[in-house]
Amino acid sequence: MSASHADTIPVRVVAVEQITPQIKHFRFAPIAGGELPAFSGGSHIIVVMRGAQRVYRNPYSLMSSPNELDSYQISVLRVEPSRGGSTFMHEQVQVGTELEIAHPVNLFGLAKLARKHLLLAGGIGITPFMAQLHDLRLTEVPFELHYATRSPQHGAYCELIAQAEPQRARLYHDSAQRFIDIEELLSRQPLGTHVYVCGPAGMITRVLDTARALGWPESHVHYEKFAAPPTGEAFDVHLQKSGIDLHVLPDQSLLEAIEAAGVDAPYLCRGGVCGFCRAEVLSVDGELVHNDHYLSNDEKASGKAIMPCVSRARCSKLVLNL
Amino acid sequence: MLITGIRSKPIYAPLQPDLGGRYHLMVGYGVGAAPLSRLLGDFDRAMPESKAHTRIWYVADAAAPQANTEAFRAANIAELRSFNAIDPMLSDLTAAMDQALMGTRLYVAGPESFMGLVMRIAHGFNLAQDEVRAEECGTLARRVHCIHCRETIENVRTNIVQCGCSRWLVVRDHYSRRLAAYMGVMIDAEAPGERPEIKEVFL
Repeated sequence: MSASHADTIPVRVVAVEQITPQIKHFRFAPIAGGELPAFSGGSHIIVVMRGAQRVYRNPYSLMSSPNELDSYQISVLRVEPSRGGSTFMHEQVQVGTELEIAHPVNLFGLAKLARKHLLLAGGIGITPFMAQLHDLRLTEVPFELHYATRSPQHGAYCELIAQAEPQRARLYHDSAQRFIDIEELLSRQPLGTHVYVCGPAGMITRVLDTARALGWPESHVHYEKFAAPPTGEAFDVHLQKSGIDLHVLPDQSLLEAIEAAGVDAPYLCRGGVCGFCRAEVLSVDGELVHNDHYLSNDEKASGKAIMPCVSRARCSKLVLNL
Repeated sequence: MLITGIRSKPIYAPLQPDLGGRYHLMVGYGVGAAPLSRLLGDFDRAMPESKAHTRIWYVADAAAPQANTEAFRAANIAELRSFNAIDPMLSDLTAAMDQALMGTRLYVAGPESFMGLVMRIAHGFNLAQDEVRAEECGTLARRVHCIHCRETIENVRTNIVQCGCSRWLVVRDHYSRRLAAYMGVMIDAEAPGERPEIKEVFL
C-alpha cells in the first residue's frame, strides 16, 4: 500500500508563516534535493518530531499543488491543550529546522467517477481541499466548496480561496451568523454527487447524520478527521511476540508507547481511520476504549482487536499479539 | 469449453426495499413485473409514505401482457411510465436520472441482458452498488460482444454463436459492465472449422 514508515524522507523547513493567531504554515524541501514523491489531493504526511521527552508523529494534510514537488506545504493549528505535537511545530520549528516525514498517503481522495463534488470545510479542515482544488481545476467535473470559519480573522485561507474560486467557493463566518445549511445543500444534489467533509468533529457528525437521513449512500460520503489520540488513564501492556512489557502514560497513545519501546509497529494515518495498525488483543483485565472509526461495532464489542493509534484500555494489563 | 468461474459475472438477489433511500426508481421488463409488484407490496407494509416518491418504468413484452401494469396503477405510486420497446424506455429513464437527486435508489427486474442496459446507464450516473438492486428473471439469453469485430449480438441462447463477421464465437462468462455484454471469442482460430457441438445453454 505504501512505503514502510521506517522509510522516512529527511526534509528542511524552508518557509514558516503565521497565518492566523492559531495557524502556522510550513514549507518543507527535501534535504537531498530533487523532488518529493508525487501525491494526489487529499493526501497527508506524517511529520516526525523529535521532542526532548518523546517522539511525536502527527498527520497533516498536504495543501500545496500536486504539480509542485520541489516542496510540500502544510498548515498546523495550535491545539490547546496540546499533547505536544502542535506546540512543538509552533514553538520549536523554524526556517532551517530538519524534520523527517513519511511518504504521502491518501485516505481522502476524490472519487474519480463522480458527476459532481461537494466539498465542505470547517476551519483548518480546508487544507486537503486546497490541494484537491488543483486537481479539480484540471477536470470538467462541476464542484462547489463551502468553507466555514469562526471569523474572517480565523479563516486561514479565506482571501486566497475567494480570489481563486469566486464562483465555485462560498465562505461562511460564525461571527457574521452565517452557517452552512447542510440539509438544504445535501437535499438538492444531482445523482452521482460525492460529498467530502473535513473539519471539527461536530461538523463531520452533522454532515454524516444529515446525509444518511436524506438517503445518501455511504459510498458517496467521505470525511477526514485527524483527532489527536484521546488521553486516559495509564495502563500496562505486554507484547506477546516481542516479549516486551511497557507502560502507556495518560497523555501518550498506545502506538506511541509501542514505538518508544523500540517495536516497529505498522501505521499509516495515526487517526483511527485506515486500519493499518490493527492489533490482535489476546487478553485484557478491564475494558478496551475504542476511539477509532475503522472497526465495526461488532468487532469493537468482540474485544479481539484494537487500533493502537487512537484507542486505549481501562485496565491494569493488556496483552497484544505483537 | 465455456470458461466459467469468472468473477465478472454479475450476482443478483431478490429485490428488497432500501428504506434508507428517499426516492425510488423501479425499472422492469416483461416478467420483471412480478418482482416489482412484490417490492411495492413490501414498501407498502414497511413504509407506505414512500409511494409518493416511487416511480416505475416498465417495458411490456408479448409474454407479459399489459395486465401487469394494472397492479402498478393500483399501487397508487407517483408515476408509471409504460413502454413497448426497450430503447425509448432507456432514453426516457436517462432523462429522468439526469434530473434525479442524491438519495435515489434504483431497482431493476428482468432478464440479465435487459438489466445490463439499465445498469450501464446507472454507472454513467455514478450509481454505486449501494444504490442499485437487481433481480434476474426471465430468459438467460445473453448479449454477446464479438471481441474481434466489436459488434454486439442480441439474444444468444447457445454456447457457440456465429457473428455477423462470420467468425464462430464461444460465449464466455466474462462480463463487461461497460458494454453490458458477455465476451465472445473466436473458437476455431487455431484449428479452422473444428468446433464443438452447439447447444442451447442460456434458456
